[in-house]
Amino acid sequence: MKYRQLLCVAAATSLLAVSSAMAADVKVIANSSVGAASVSADELKGVFLATKTSLSDGSHVEPVVLKGGATHEAFLKEYVGKTDSAFETYYRSLVFTGKASMPKALASDGDVVAYVAKTKGAIGYVSGGTATEGVKTLEVK
Amino acid sequence: MHSTIKTTLLTALVCAAPAVMHAQFDFTVDGRQVQVHSFASQGFMYSNDNNYMTMNTSQGSFAMTDGGVNVSTSLTDKFRVGAQAYDHNVGVMGKGRITLDWAYGDYKLKSWFGIRAGKVKTVFGLYNDTQDIGSLHTWALLPQSAYPIDLRASTIAHVGGDIYGTIDFHKLGDLSYTVYAGSRPDDPTGGYTYGLKALGAYLNGVTGTQAGADLRWNNLIKDVTFGASFMDSPMDTTGTMQMSPLPKSPGTIQADDYHTAYYVSYKSGSLTVDAEYRIEKIWSTMKISIMPTMVVSSPYNTDACGSYGAVAYRISKRLELGTYRSWFYPTWTENRSLPSSHITDQVVTARVDLAKFWDLKIEGHFMDGYGNPQSLRGFYLQDNPDGLKPKTNMLVIRTGWNF
Repeated sequence: MKYRQLLCVAAATSLLAVSSAMAADVKVIANSSVGAASVSADELKGVFLATKTSLSDGSHVEPVVLKGGATHEAFLKEYVGKTDSAFETYYRSLVFTGKASMPKALASDGDVVAYVAKTKGAIGYVSGGTATEGVKTLEVK
Repeated sequence: MHSTIKTTLLTALVCAAPAVMHAQFDFTVDGRQVQVHSFASQGFMYSNDNNYMTMNTSQGSFAMTDGGVNVSTSLTDKFRVGAQAYDHNVGVMGKGRITLDWAYGDYKLKSWFGIRAGKVKTVFGLYNDTQDIGSLHTWALLPQSAYPIDLRASTIAHVGGDIYGTIDFHKLGDLSYTVYAGSRPDDPTGGYTYGLKALGAYLNGVTGTQAGADLRWNNLIKDVTFGASFMDSPMDTTGTMQMSPLPKSPGTIQADDYHTAYYVSYKSGSLTVDAEYRIEKIWSTMKISIMPTMVVSSPYNTDACGSYGAVAYRISKRLELGTYRSWFYPTWTENRSLPSSHITDQVVTARVDLAKFWDLKIEGHFMDGYGNPQSLRGFYLQDNPDGLKPKTNMLVIRTGWNF
C-alpha cells in the first residue's frame, strides 16, 4: 500500500514537472512599443481571442501566431485553452462575420521575432530557447 | 438549373484568387493591411419520398450552392471596416442573387464597449450569424428547428447598429452582450414568399424592423457557454391574396413576431455538445380588399417551438463524427403526434477535412412529420403535389472551401 502511494506521488510530481517544462518552453514576446513588462493570463487570452486590443497599461497590441508546430500548440493549450483546429474555427467565425481579421501567421520562431521587432504593438510567442534580440519578453502572471 | 450553374461558376470564381495565392489574400493600402477571404460550398440531397427545401430531392438534386467573399481593414487601432458579398441557390430560393451579406464600421472603444453600424449579422442563439459558413460547423445542414434555411432572411442580419462588449470577471469567466436595432432586409426569393404562394398569398416583399439582445456567459463553468437571445421583428407586407372561393385581390399582412432562444454549449478538446431551445410567437392579420369598400380580415397566430441537442467528436485531425436530434412544433398547443404538427430529425454526420481549407460532409437525416403549410420548414405543398408522406429519409453530401 505504501509502495503504491509512493508511486502515485512520484507520478504526480513527474506530471507537474513536465507541464511546468512545457509552459517554460514558450516565451511571450512583444514589440518595444508595448509599455508593460508583464501580462496577466486573462489579458493574454483576450488578446489572442481578439476580445482585447490593448493591455492594462493602455498599450495597443496585435497578436502574431505561428502557423503550426509544437510551440504553437503548447501556447494555445496553456494560454488560450483551444486546440489549433478550434482556434482556426474561432477566428474564421470572426472573419466571416466581420468582427476581426486573421492574425498574422508566420512559419518559424525566427520569423516571429523579426516581425515583432519591426511591428508596433505586435505580441507573439516563440519557443523558450529562441534568441529574442530586438524584442521584449513579457512575464505571464 | 440555370441559376445553379451560374451560382456554382460565380462561387468558384470568387474563391479562385485566394486559392491561387494558397491562402487568405492580403495587400497593403497606405500602410494598412487589407484582407480578402472567401468561402463556397456545393451540396447534393437525395430523399426517399418527400421533396425537401424546394429541391427535387426525391430524384437527387445538386441545387444547393453558396459562396461569399469579404474584404476588411483596420483604419485605426479602434476602427475596422469591411463588407461581404454572398450568393446562394437552394432549390428555387436565393436564385443566385448576389446580396450584400454584411457591411459595417466597427468602433471598439474598450473590450467592454463597442459600436457597429451598417448591415450587421444578427447575434441570436449559438450560430445565427455564422449559419452560412459551412467550414465552422460539423453539419451539412444545421438543425432546421433552429436555423431553417428557408427562413434565413427573417433573422440573419439587420441594417442598423449594435452596441456590444465583453466584461471580464476573471475566475468567474466573462459576460458578452449585444444589443441591436434596425430594419430587416427583404428576401423576395426566400421560403416565406415561396411557401405562402401555396396558401394563396403572392407577396411583393417582406419588410419590417428588428430589435433585440443577446447575453452569454463564457466559462463560469470551464469550457461552457450559456446564454439567451431575444428578438422583436414585426413584419409588414403587401401583395395579392386569394382566400377561396373569393377572387385574387390586393392585400396586406401585418405581424408581430417574437423570437426567444436559450442555449448552452460545451467545447473541450475534441468534444462539442450543444443544445438550444427556441420559441417563436407570431400574431398576424391578413387583410384582403375584395372590393374598395369590403375588406376581409383573417387572423393567424402561432406559438412555435424548436429545439435540438447535438454531440460532435473529432476523432483525428481529418475526421469528425457527430449526431443531433431536433424537434420542431409549429403550434405547441396542438396535438403534437400528427405529422402535420411536428418535424423531428435524427441526424448522423461524418465530416472529413481533406485539407485545411477543404471539407466534405456526409450526413443522414431521418425525419418524422412535415409540419403544417404555414410552417415553411422545408416541406412545401407545391413541391409535393401527391401529398406529403409522414417520414423522410435523406442523404446530404456537402463539400466546402474557405480561404
